[in-house]
Amino acid sequence: MATQAHSLSYAGCNFLRQRLVLSTLSGRPVKIRKIRARDDNPGLRDFEASFIRLLDKITNGSRIEINQTGTTLYYQPGLLYGGSVEHDCSVLRGIGYYLESLLCLAPFMKHPLKIVLRGVTNDQVDPSVDVLKATALPLLKQFGIDGESFELKIVRRGMPPGGGGEVVFSCPVRKVLKPIQLTDPGKIKRIRGMAYSVRVSPQMANRIVDSARSILNKFIPDIYIYTDHMKGVNSGKSPGFGLSLVAETTSGTFLSAELASNPQGQGAAVLPEDLGRNCARLLLEEIYRGGCVDSTNQSLALLLMTLGQQDVSKVLLGPLSPYTTAGLISKPQVGIRSASRVPRAH
Amino acid sequence: MEAKDQKKHRKKNSGPKAEKKKKRHLQDLQLGDEEDARKRNPKAFAVQSAVRMARSFHRTQDLKTKKHHIPVVDRTPLEPPPIVVVVMGPPKVGKSTLIQCLIRNFTRQKLTEIRGPVTIVSGKKRRLTIIECGCDINMMIDLAKVADLVLMLIDASFGFEMETFEFLNICQVHGFPKIMGVLTHLDSFKHNKQLKKTKKRLKHRFWTEVYPGAKLFYLSGMVHGEYQNQEIHNLGRFITVMKFRPLTWQTSHPYILADRMEDLTNPEDIRTNIKCDRKVSLYGYLRGTHLKNKSQIHMPGIGDFTVSDVSFLPDPCALPEQQKKRCLNEKEKLVYAPLSGVGGVLYDKDAVYVDLGGSHGFQALDEVGSTHELVQSLISTHSTIDAKMASSRVMLFSDSKALGSEDIDNQGLLMPKEEKQMDLKTGRMRRKAVFGDEDGSGDSDDEEGDEMSEDDGLENGSSDEEAVEEENAEVTDECMTAKGVKRRKLEELEEDSEADLPAFADSDDDLERSSAEEGEAEEADESSEEEDCSAGEKGISGSKAVREGSKAELSPANHQRDRVNLEKSLLMKKAALTTSDSGHCTAEEVFASEDESEESSSLSAEEEDSENQEALRKKLLKPSQVGSGQKLGSRNLIDETSDIEDLLKEEEDYKEERNDPTETSGALKWKEDLSRKAAEAFLRQQQAAPNLRKLIYGTVTEDNEEEDDTQEELGGLFRVTQPDRGCKHKADSLDCSRFPVEAPHDWDLEEVMNSIRDCFVTGKWEDDKDAAKVLAEDEELYGDFEDLETGDVHKGKSGPITQNEDVEKEVKEEIDPNEEESAKKKHLDKKRKLKEMFDAEYDEGESTYFDDLKGEMQKQAQMRLKKHRWYKKILKSRDPIIFSVGWRRFQTIPLYYIEDHNGRQRLLKYTPQHMHCGATFWGPITPQGTGFLAIQSVSGIMPDFRIAATGVVLDLDKSIKIVKKLKLTGFPYKIFKNTSFIKGMFNSALEVAKFEGAMIRTVSGIRGQIKKALRAPEGAFRASFEDKLLMSDIVFMRTWYPVSIPAFYNPVTSLLKPVGEKDTWSGMRTTGQLRLAHGIRLKANKDSLYKPILRQKKHFNSLHIPKALQKALPFKNKPKTQAKAGKVPKDRRRPAVVREPHERKILALLDALSTVHSQKMKKAKEQQHLHNKEHFRARQKEEEEKLKRQKDLRKKLFRIQGQKERRNQKSSLKGAEGQLQ
Repeated sequence: MATQAHSLSYAGCNFLRQRLVLSTLSGRPVKIRKIRARDDNPGLRDFEASFIRLLDKITNGSRIEINQTGTTLYYQPGLLYGGSVEHDCSVLRGIGYYLESLLCLAPFMKHPLKIVLRGVTNDQVDPSVDVLKATALPLLKQFGIDGESFELKIVRRGMPPGGGGEVVFSCPVRKVLKPIQLTDPGKIKRIRGMAYSVRVSPQMANRIVDSARSILNKFIPDIYIYTDHMKGVNSGKSPGFGLSLVAETTSGTFLSAELASNPQGQGAAVLPEDLGRNCARLLLEEIYRGGCVDSTNQSLALLLMTLGQQDVSKVLLGPLSPYTTAGLISKPQVGIRSASRVPRAH
Repeated sequence: MEAKDQKKHRKKNSGPKAEKKKKRHLQDLQLGDEEDARKRNPKAFAVQSAVRMARSFHRTQDLKTKKHHIPVVDRTPLEPPPIVVVVMGPPKVGKSTLIQCLIRNFTRQKLTEIRGPVTIVSGKKRRLTIIECGCDINMMIDLAKVADLVLMLIDASFGFEMETFEFLNICQVHGFPKIMGVLTHLDSFKHNKQLKKTKKRLKHRFWTEVYPGAKLFYLSGMVHGEYQNQEIHNLGRFITVMKFRPLTWQTSHPYILADRMEDLTNPEDIRTNIKCDRKVSLYGYLRGTHLKNKSQIHMPGIGDFTVSDVSFLPDPCALPEQQKKRCLNEKEKLVYAPLSGVGGVLYDKDAVYVDLGGSHGFQALDEVGSTHELVQSLISTHSTIDAKMASSRVMLFSDSKALGSEDIDNQGLLMPKEEKQMDLKTGRMRRKAVFGDEDGSGDSDDEEGDEMSEDDGLENGSSDEEAVEEENAEVTDECMTAKGVKRRKLEELEEDSEADLPAFADSDDDLERSSAEEGEAEEADESSEEEDCSAGEKGISGSKAVREGSKAELSPANHQRDRVNLEKSLLMKKAALTTSDSGHCTAEEVFASEDESEESSSLSAEEEDSENQEALRKKLLKPSQVGSGQKLGSRNLIDETSDIEDLLKEEEDYKEERNDPTETSGALKWKEDLSRKAAEAFLRQQQAAPNLRKLIYGTVTEDNEEEDDTQEELGGLFRVTQPDRGCKHKADSLDCSRFPVEAPHDWDLEEVMNSIRDCFVTGKWEDDKDAAKVLAEDEELYGDFEDLETGDVHKGKSGPITQNEDVEKEVKEEIDPNEEESAKKKHLDKKRKLKEMFDAEYDEGESTYFDDLKGEMQKQAQMRLKKHRWYKKILKSRDPIIFSVGWRRFQTIPLYYIEDHNGRQRLLKYTPQHMHCGATFWGPITPQGTGFLAIQSVSGIMPDFRIAATGVVLDLDKSIKIVKKLKLTGFPYKIFKNTSFIKGMFNSALEVAKFEGAMIRTVSGIRGQIKKALRAPEGAFRASFEDKLLMSDIVFMRTWYPVSIPAFYNPVTSLLKPVGEKDTWSGMRTTGQLRLAHGIRLKANKDSLYKPILRQKKHFNSLHIPKALQKALPFKNKPKTQAKAGKVPKDRRRPAVVREPHERKILALLDALSTVHSQKMKKAKEQQHLHNKEHFRARQKEEEEKLKRQKDLRKKLFRIQGQKERRNQKSSLKGAEGQLQ
């Protein structure tokens, strides 16, 4: 019947963000059932609820229906409206969780989006704001989304579990996206990084830098890792430290890796030296995986490719992350076809 | 004759040649000026005025910039779809005649009856789709949206008619296509002068409407009921060379002008339930952008649907192949008009008639007869049958015709009996095939569809056998009947295929199988399995399989077959290189064919099943692979001992398991030039990489989960739900975009480090280059890859692709993966098959069609609207009106509003007469800036201009707030100084509390504020004013009340009406119409009635001036208060005199005497007066005379005096003269 054609239905809370984002972009309502239906604590979590609230804020005319237990969600998207918005994200997940979806939606708003997000800027689960700033923004620029108002600023840092970070993201509106041809990853010419520490000794950051350099120096000398120690109000509510590394290639693509310390009161204490070394190794892994877009931004790149003009975009990717493949699954939702070619050589 | 003296040669005195000669002559004489004038005479070109020069430069630049446009990307495909030519005009103006003449002009064919669009090949690179547009407003709107060129017919003897202007207005709103006027009925003019005048008048009016200089054609007269050949020829030339500017709306949306329609619904279903869901397939050329499969579409006049499948068909009206000739062959002048029964198929209500022999058999039809025609068509085949199969639609039908033996009773009208029978068969087969094809592709949970397909499968099974038997019988039959011919052709085909490809039968069989599987009909499965067994042997059973395949899925199958063939030959070449066995090849083909079938099926829930079955069948068919299949389970990832071949085999197995079709063929060659390690790495990577195709286009895991949940039953009562841990985990897992590293490398090891060395600028570039080289070679050899979507095999390029160079080319290729196909097949018709159930009874079931629609388009659009100046009435808010926006026509209830200075959107009851106003309504999402028009009704004939309003969409905003004014009134019941107590405005204290501090006002203009609620009468409040009120004052408060937009959207489904009533669609009626229909009169407000005005006379009080003021007044203004004279007292009154008769006589006499006297006196006085007058006159006379005399005297005197003086003078002069002398 027509029902199937008009609204899509899914089960489980998996890939909730992508489903809702694609639904918003395609204008098709979705119904998600059985959200943690068999869980001891059924229904939507706080962070998901917060995400839905965020969607409601940036759209106009959305209809959201959640049943009493929170196990079923019906979302009928409205128009992407934009404007200046403030949102308090849940501290259960990082701001990256919300920002990733916003990056997909922001270029298609009616009014330029200027949003203030408050919550956890760096955690162990989601891509941190630093990484997104260093990799996702240049990627969007490849699609022709740039300008003065296109920026992501970290005002305050907040680590889990307390949070207290603040990020300002503003993005202009673009009617058409440029098709991209990212098939040559190029050679890595420099590695940059950001070692941050909040509410711990500022020496931590320096220790991280040293250890990370010790590994990366074997490959390339052009390494610069900034240390960022925030104090007072800007340091959020919980202590922590971490490192994010970005490798830039000659053709302007970015590969990233990051690692953050265990949140306060959870897990064993992490030595900054170990963290630095592990993070450097993660970057090497990322380099090993290759591709013109790093694993966190694969789905973003693919999405923007599909939403671009009729012209064909090309991108070379490393092995696809589970998140990306989920995105590919949902593509038919938008009604998009893609000719995928499995790269043979690496 | 020879002797006849020829004309003498005359030297040319002008023209380029003469000039050249002159120049040469001058040059010979050394007089020539090689230099141009500028050089020869520099002074003449010197700058005279810098200012003027700057000005002229400025002006040229201005003109240049004016010409600049935003560059329009030309996205027209290499072979553009036909140009839509809409022939429009009022009735009886000669539209059909013009179309007929045009068709005859281009194709030398005569179409007697024209129904629907007619596509013709008009030139080497141009096709035209000509369609007639009547004066039904629906039709006009729809056609204006798709037209590329409009031929606007105007009856010159009558002049312009309303339809013409309406159509022009529609065009203006929906993007202006090219418009060419055609004046007809010019022969009705007797006088040449009048004709000229009329032409001029009409031309200028036309120019004001379209643009100055718009082309207007004159068709001067009719010859034998047709226009003059020369004029039509000229018109045709104009059309063929015309250039078009792409219209934004058309180029940014995919659309199809369907030239053919098929109802694929099972007739049985229709019989049992006339309102059952229909499956309809529409055919046409795709225009605009690319049409996505499964996308939402709108059919104007019908509604919104989802496409169930889109597929390509060979072009029925193909452009001629590239050749170096100036004009078209007779053969290439094709005409295709299925709805009119030309160039293919004629559709009746329950049968399809095929016109064999292409468009030119059409002419021969009458004389020769069908059998001969068939023979002729056979004889005329120059290309191979395969090619024909690919390109021709007719062959396609005739192919399956041979199979037919059913439904002989149903007879067509055009063709002789046996053909009809075949045709019917094909028609029927066609339906079946599409069912089978589409059922898998359609919604899996659609029970009806499944049942249907099962039926089909069954029928297939049974009818196949019959057909085969019949054919066998017929093969032996040697008479030259039509069937015989067909048979032969078929056999040829089979032979062909068998000769070319040894495993063709297999592959096709698989194809058939997969389609049968999709049907999920077990019986069909069984039967096909039997066929599988027989398929092993070659010969007639093989051919049977072929036939089966073609039968099962007619046109798509044909396509697929072609593809399979191609693949096959490709693989054969490879087989020469490699040592792979043919079994292997077939396996791959299986994949390919599966791909296609699966691609056509989107969310087939049976995929898992089909996979299993596949595996089973493979075991049955290819025992050689069973071993490897069994190895599957115990497969070790890194098998050290086995050689590379084994590795690769394993990889294949793995793929089989996962149903991954990609790269198998390429992988075969890895062993030849890459090291074992590379192969291993590749394997690992392949394992790590998820099966993309399956993921993207395969089953969604949720469905499985549901199945899993309902597995076992305990005692027939309870169900044991055993949630699959894995599944559940997957469904509710963490939503995170990070890609964790599962098996980290040990980055301390040198070799691991070396593996990424070349990723850095510091790494070895040479190495990398080498690697690149290797890669390039690799690409060269195995660059072919498989498009996961279409299952097409893309062949690798022969050389390494230099990106910049080939991007364009590649883009072309990849935009449309079938482009490559088109290279082979030349022409593709894009066929859209649409299977959509729509309820005839919308209101049954829990979620109806319209509910869904509502959900889909719950959007409010704001638009700037202006009532059309030619529309006689103004429009009323909340009156349903029909909008044409985007592709859609729909009825909705708009609210009109106007924006106040402070941005408030105030509701209007009616649209302004001559001004723009806003309108908002509830309807589908439409991009901003889209033009729209409104009409009050689409039914019947309205005497006046039908377009009620036009405008543009401004915004889409759900949160628009339209308000209307609400005045609350109250009355003072107690008045203090500036404070009053007001009652009657509110009903409760709560209401008052809400409005505390609000501004209020009296009618007389005293402003105030609401202070606080009072206890005593409910809803009363205290208010303070700037002045003291009167009890008679009315206090009011102005408030704004938001109005909600009625959620009413009713697509105009005029085309669902039965034939002949298409223009009678009437949607929701306005209240006015309803009242009129039911004779309900509105009860008028008594106070609003007009009554005779009675004015009472006003009495004013007397003016009272205070005493003090009186005192101060000047005497003049003081009230004169003199007392009236009192009565004369009696004593002062004089007594009346009473006379004696004698006395009275005396008195009378005296009176008489005095009268006489006075009369005498009067007379005397008069005489005296007269005398005086006389005297005066006499004296005057005397006086005058006296004066005269004096005057004369004086005159005399002066004369004498003068003479004297003169004399004196003279004498003095004389004296002087004398002295002088």
